[in-house]
Amino acid sequence: MEILVVGLNHSTAPVSIRERITFPGNESGDVARLMTLVEGVEEAIILSTCNRGEVIAMTGEPEGTAENIASTIAHLHNLEPDAIREFLYFKNGPDAVRHVFRVASSLDSMVLGEPQILGQVKEGYRRAARAGATGPILNRLLHRAFFTAKRVRSETGVGKAAVSVAYAAVKLAKKILGDLRDKRILLIGAGEMAELSARHLNTQLEEPIVVVNRSYENACTLARSLCGKAMPMEHMETGLVGADVVITSTGSCEPIITRNYFKKVMRQRRSRPIFIIDIALPRDVEPEVNDIDGVYLYNIDDLQGVVEENLGGRREEAGRAENIVAEEVIKFIEWTRTLDVAPTIVALKEKLEKIREGELSRLNGKLSSLGPEEREAVEIITRSIINKIAHDPIVFLKKVGSLSKTRFYLDTAQRLFKLGGAQDETSNGVEEPYHE
Amino acid sequence: MDLVFFKIALVLYLGASIAYLIFLLLSSEGRAPLGFWLAIAGFAAHSLSILHRAIFSGYWPLAGPFDVLSVFAWMVMGIFFLLLYKVPSPILGSMAAPIASVLMLYGATWSYQIREPLVPVLKSFWLPIHVILAIAGNSIFALTAIGGCMYMLQEKLIKSKRIGRFHRLLPSLETLDKINRHGLPFGFFLLTLGIITGALWAGSVWGSYWSWDPKETWSLITWFAYAAMVHQRVVLGWRGKKAAMLAIFGFGLVMFTFVGVSALLGGHHAFEPQTGMMKPGM
Repeated sequence: MEILVVGLNHSTAPVSIRERITFPGNESGDVARLMTLVEGVEEAIILSTCNRGEVIAMTGEPEGTAENIASTIAHLHNLEPDAIREFLYFKNGPDAVRHVFRVASSLDSMVLGEPQILGQVKEGYRRAARAGATGPILNRLLHRAFFTAKRVRSETGVGKAAVSVAYAAVKLAKKILGDLRDKRILLIGAGEMAELSARHLNTQLEEPIVVVNRSYENACTLARSLCGKAMPMEHMETGLVGADVVITSTGSCEPIITRNYFKKVMRQRRSRPIFIIDIALPRDVEPEVNDIDGVYLYNIDDLQGVVEENLGGRREEAGRAENIVAEEVIKFIEWTRTLDVAPTIVALKEKLEKIREGELSRLNGKLSSLGPEEREAVEIITRSIINKIAHDPIVFLKKVGSLSKTRFYLDTAQRLFKLGGAQDETSNGVEEPYHE
Repeated sequence: MDLVFFKIALVLYLGASIAYLIFLLLSSEGRAPLGFWLAIAGFAAHSLSILHRAIFSGYWPLAGPFDVLSVFAWMVMGIFFLLLYKVPSPILGSMAAPIASVLMLYGATWSYQIREPLVPVLKSFWLPIHVILAIAGNSIFALTAIGGCMYMLQEKLIKSKRIGRFHRLLPSLETLDKINRHGLPFGFFLLTLGIITGALWAGSVWGSYWSWDPKETWSLITWFAYAAMVHQRVVLGWRGKKAAMLAIFGFGLVMFTFVGVSALLGGHHAFEPQTGMMKPGM
């Protein structure tokens, strides 16, 4: 039995690939259900956000199953398996468990500690559970993942300050411009990075984003996807006068905004402060523009520096979060080890024997009048009673070892008798599939 | 006479200043509440001290430099607390508390005795109106200047891309500029009223509204300076760094008019060194 994770995220795949891997039709968990039909897969959950698309699966035979999942992902999206192979990661065993815990705890997010991911994981799980694609192992895995995420959030500062370039840019914008709700963003150039930052800023704003681009058509496309407005390049100056935050990312070889040009713009702005983020290489904005009163020019390296500065305190927090994850991974792996035929039978026998011994010692006073022979008889009687009781379940469990739903029956048996790993969980020892 | 409340307030303000200073040096958020509560306690004691002085003298406790400086410090702290409500940034306290402490220490160098009987000029109902308006204006200017200093610092940090702890402690440029935008015209309004009521008071006791006494002259200079600043700010749209520098310069002028003129140039606003009482006339 093994946990597998196959998928891609913001660090392994470019936007162009990520935006294609969306698992369409999974609103009711049907795709997750479909995944369980893939050869070797017993349980499956699909996690799809704008920054990641992955399949979490439980398999009985790890050989080849990951490959099957990868091909299925490709086919689902009308792609050749080879087209996405290089962007996929394959994780199994403790690595896969750690990955799931890290994702749920927002340690694997583009914006470290961002809170939405947990909700997205819960949603993915809920859909799969509803469609019956999950079983005892993934139910347990996801509940432990939610528990780990909760611990990370309450015991560390990771969630308090998300760390990333886009986040740093937003924070800086707030330090310069105050409340961002009524501020306006101008996007010069329709590059991918600019779009990402703009999307992040966009959550803070009420005014529509304005996009200016050399190709008006591209500007329109991007503007539409950002619910903003497009302007032809000739109107850049108007845009600069009206904007409060400017993000530039054109492919121009020469700076498109020079010091003298921007001085003119600032006069028209009546010195209203402006925050310019230049993420183009080579730069779109002359560095001297920063010397103009009221202009705050940051390029991507400057922002990276700010992130490093922020990280100073957070790195420690992230380290503590990783420790929590490691702890929980060990706990989970230990539990999966108990979920096998032999340990379950041993645990069942031990439990019954403990009950027997306990009851005998409780009645020790009353039995003291008995002679050694009679006591011997009591021992024999009680032992044979528990053996008789245990016989059928043990025979059943041994047979279960060869059935396809092994884990389900083992889990049920453990719950019925409250054995080993099933005990430390919820108060009644029963985990319902996740509902919220 | 007992100055116990005054002394308690002064000690608490100094304590608050030190707590805020430690907070600044260590940038540890944990120290800021200590400074705040010391400042609150100091403010309470200070209020009692002023009340006590009022009851004791049977009149507005504004007749001598000791009391005027005390009320000045009290107003600086009062406006600081009001501002803190709007701009929850503990760093404001690291400037307000020391300013209040210095004002009170300076006040303490003067005699707190009130010479009886009070000269008739000071028994006018114009006294509280004129002095309170003037001091309120000065307090606003003080906090606007504090905001200006913080603006200059924050702007320098952002421009030079030093985004560290200090940057995070300081409020946003927009907030600091807002303090300036509201502070300058409001302070100017109070200053104007202060000068007008002073003139009316002079007119009612001496029959002449304006006598080019040094304090009056410097007040007028200050008034013109602030009028120019408000004009730059409101009409020409000056903002940010320029406006912050103006606020700091303006407050320098205010302090010279308030303290320097009396000490250096004399006139009927000046205090007699021995008693600390206002001179009776021209």
